[in-house]
Amino acid sequence: MLLGLWLIGGGVAAGFFGSLLGLGGGTLIVPLLTLVFNLPLLTAVGVSLICVIVTSGASAGVFLERHVANLRLGMTLELFTAIGALIGGLVAFLLPERALEGLFAVLLVYTSLSMARRGRVAGGPEEETVVDGEPPDDTFFDANLSGPTYRVRRVPAGAAGSVGAGVVSALLGIGGGIVKVPVMHLVMGVPLRVATATSNLMMGITASAGAFIYLSRGLIDPFVASPTALGVFVGASLGSRVVHRIDLRILRGLFIAILLYTALQMLLRALS
Amino acid sequence: MTAGPRHAPALDLDRTVGRLLTIGTYASILLIAIGCVLMFAARIDPLAGGPALEPGLIIDDITHLRPAGFMWLGLVVLLFTPIARVVVSLFGYISRGERTMAIVSVLILVVIAASIVIGNVEA
Repeated sequence: MLLGLWLIGGGVAAGFFGSLLGLGGGTLIVPLLTLVFNLPLLTAVGVSLICVIVTSGASAGVFLERHVANLRLGMTLELFTAIGALIGGLVAFLLPERALEGLFAVLLVYTSLSMARRGRVAGGPEEETVVDGEPPDDTFFDANLSGPTYRVRRVPAGAAGSVGAGVVSALLGIGGGIVKVPVMHLVMGVPLRVATATSNLMMGITASAGAFIYLSRGLIDPFVASPTALGVFVGASLGSRVVHRIDLRILRGLFIAILLYTALQMLLRALS
Repeated sequence: MTAGPRHAPALDLDRTVGRLLTIGTYASILLIAIGCVLMFAARIDPLAGGPALEPGLIIDDITHLRPAGFMWLGLVVLLFTPIARVVVSLFGYISRGERTMAIVSVLILVVIAASIVIGNVEA
């Protein structure tokens, strides 16, 4: 029973801090299950994909009802993230576990660098409309995927980035927001708030596509996945309620250090 | 194509799909939570390895209050909630005559079906 409670507690912590820092559950769940509970990486990835679906379902439902997420854009791009997840889920079983651990270490370093960069620009006004000198393309998708205050452009580039996000999601058990949000925001001209909400929406189907591969290999253990997912749900719900009341600067600095330390541990595990 | 008339009806679909996601997620979490309580009551070590998914056993496990039944049903509901969202969107787009988005929806379902089939064949 104690181990089950620890799994729930770990899930609560991962969901809570993931929600506060915009990390998503997966980035913290996989190191938790491998480094603390000593589970094989692929088992941890399978459990993490379940947790990603939980956080996606809970948050995307709200984002859609509030009309923040763009359903048409999300569905168009998730066709490509799902294809990527199918590829990533199959490739994950061809790679040695050490290679995946090394890749996860790289992901953690990249995530901590992204957090450091975000911390430097925090406090600036959120971009609501994207204005630049480039005339928008006038294809069917560019016109139909746009929102009332923004115009979507470079859909093929967004589709290519989405395939990459799907591959990374199924390989490493993450939501892939770290790839999708910059692609939508910087490449496709989607406002950051809409890109984040739409990315959350897409994570559900992307993680499902990957999770079915892991399920068929017997790598989703209900006794590990259930308490962890329950904890992530509770933690993410708590996090979304207190995020506006917490000064995130210190927490962000602390987690940059924790992620870098975790990356080192993951690298050592890969090399051991 | 202008955004105005096309975006007005889409709001209803957003709300329907959003509600479906919320209900599906909460239902699955409820089942998973019941499974966890039963697992604790039965003093099962979660790291000892749980049973694989046997769809035919889920109902039997649930009627006998075995934790794996509730957990697997919760996990299956969770896995199929995003898929149900795509199915509902598909019908929404068909009813509005949005052929391209309907095709996109069908293609997503094809990719998901492929991941289920290929995963099982490879396994």
